[in-house]
Amino acid sequence: MPLVPNALCFSDGLPGAGAPCHVTVSDNGLTMVPVGDSVLREEAIAFTDMSVEAGGLDHDQLVVSWGDGTSRRTVYLKDPALIVAFRRAAPSQLTAHLERAAEQVRRARHSHRLLWSSVAGVLIGLVLFLWFGSDLVVEWAVARIPIEWEQKLGETVYQDFLSKETVLKDGPAVSAVQEMTQRLTEKIPNSPYKFQVSVVQGPVVNAFALPGGYVVVFTGLMNKAESGEEVAGVLSHELNHVLQRHGLERMVTMLGLAAVVGIVLGDQQGVLGLAKQLGMELATLKFGRAQETEADLTGLRLLSDARIAPDGMIRFFERLSEKDKERVELFSTHPMSAARAERLKAELAALPKRTPIPFTFEWKPVQDSLALSVPKK
Amino acid sequence: MKCEILYPGAFPMVRVYLDANETVKAESGAMVAASPTIDIESKMEGGFLGALSRKMLSGEKFFFQTLRASRGAGEVLLAPTVPGEIVLLELDGVNEYMVQKDGFLAGAEGVKIESKMQSLTRGLLGGEGFFILKIGGIGQLVLNSFGAIHKIELKPNEEYIVDNSHLVAWTSTTTYNIEKASSGWIASLTSGEGLVCRFRGPGVVYIQSRNPGSFGNWIRQFIPVSE
Repeated sequence: MPLVPNALCFSDGLPGAGAPCHVTVSDNGLTMVPVGDSVLREEAIAFTDMSVEAGGLDHDQLVVSWGDGTSRRTVYLKDPALIVAFRRAAPSQLTAHLERAAEQVRRARHSHRLLWSSVAGVLIGLVLFLWFGSDLVVEWAVARIPIEWEQKLGETVYQDFLSKETVLKDGPAVSAVQEMTQRLTEKIPNSPYKFQVSVVQGPVVNAFALPGGYVVVFTGLMNKAESGEEVAGVLSHELNHVLQRHGLERMVTMLGLAAVVGIVLGDQQGVLGLAKQLGMELATLKFGRAQETEADLTGLRLLSDARIAPDGMIRFFERLSEKDKERVELFSTHPMSAARAERLKAELAALPKRTPIPFTFEWKPVQDSLALSVPKK
Repeated sequence: MKCEILYPGAFPMVRVYLDANETVKAESGAMVAASPTIDIESKMEGGFLGALSRKMLSGEKFFFQTLRASRGAGEVLLAPTVPGEIVLLELDGVNEYMVQKDGFLAGAEGVKIESKMQSLTRGLLGGEGFFILKIGGIGQLVLNSFGAIHKIELKPNEEYIVDNSHLVAWTSTTTYNIEKASSGWIASLTSGEGLVCRFRGPGVVYIQSRNPGSFGNWIRQFIPVSE
């Protein structure tokens, strides 16, 4: 039966990766038998003639060396049973050295394990903290960002956006939106923001708010609205995104999440990349929903304070979600669920009844003016 | 299983001869062509968890393909994704290779592949990630590289310094430490080498003559940016 190699021998004239050999332990030393074609010959080495140390990538191999010059041999043993047999048979002066080496390996492994379990613990803690405590962290971070930074940031994006779009400069639509903004912002006490609202030519039924008080209303939204109160409802919702600093919260969340995910997972691809993306999207969706609800409720209160009929917002959202769910962009960022409408209605019922004061403009002429201004491009 | 390298150089291919019922494991997607007697099975080496950990941790493919000569002897042609040389290694049950995550192309049935966790410093600084493949067992192992493969043989206690992104594989009798390329941090970073690995023999280190990361950066400048 051919010998099964259980060790690698290194020496001059042998392959660099080591020559396979079979090592057996006897009472007074080792016997090494080469396996396969080799320039090596069988050698028996007494314990007194060898030196022993721990080696290999993980310091878990037993390295036995003997001889000098070109006949210097180094044998790496990895088989645990063989190493145990060696330690049993070897005399104490050799084993003392070995035990120290083994102890070192054990300690290294122990600290290695300790290190990894603490790293894993910290990671799990971090994930839990991010999942459950992220809102607090984000709020804390956002509270420390000065309003001026926010405005500068918002303005840059705002100007960049407007430069690519057709902005309505004047006309009934602009005056109507200005009147709504005026009525709403009057009722915001101590607002640090100077709100700027632009009406932008575009078929999309949407409006959005940038950090710092920059709001864009698309003509598509105004075309779909049946009254000024409905547009004012959306506007109030958007203004409250600004007041609650939602844009900033989202940015901090995204940036922070990207940084943490990047650090934790490294730059891996494939499944990892997917998980990373999914995780980020899920998280932002979660924050998005909570922010929408907040903006809904505070928006509703603001409408009521400004004595603008507050059911406009609900009516508008409900009507559009029934009619053109597919085409209305507003719902990709502002999903309208039954639960959300219910919450709004409940909140509306709880608000003190105030007689709404109508706007000074008629809605129909405003919409008609939009139709006239369309083919200007 | 018998392997033969066709077209040695930048665009090589491996021809693997299989006896009836013999199998070869290959990186998924590596098969170029095969005899009609060969069946392709997808297999999660090391079970589902093993495959998952390998995928998640070392970035290796989730599945390996297993090509089995189930209907009689035949041959399989295998090729790696990147241009570069292929090296055949013979595993005899005692020698073991640490292989960086993209280095594995194929292995005989008796070849065992595990993901292995590196120490924290090696993982953080080595550029190979925290996990590398530890390949042992018995049979032929086929590794691929980016560029040419260069073999460095180290005698006991002999040292050699390698830029870590050029590493392909090294034997487990070889130890290594991560070091700065120059004595100072600034000099290390500005020299373009950053961190290097100091290997200490005995054993063999296989390195590749091109650095995939640098090549990626270089080629990025020619890719048109989409609007």
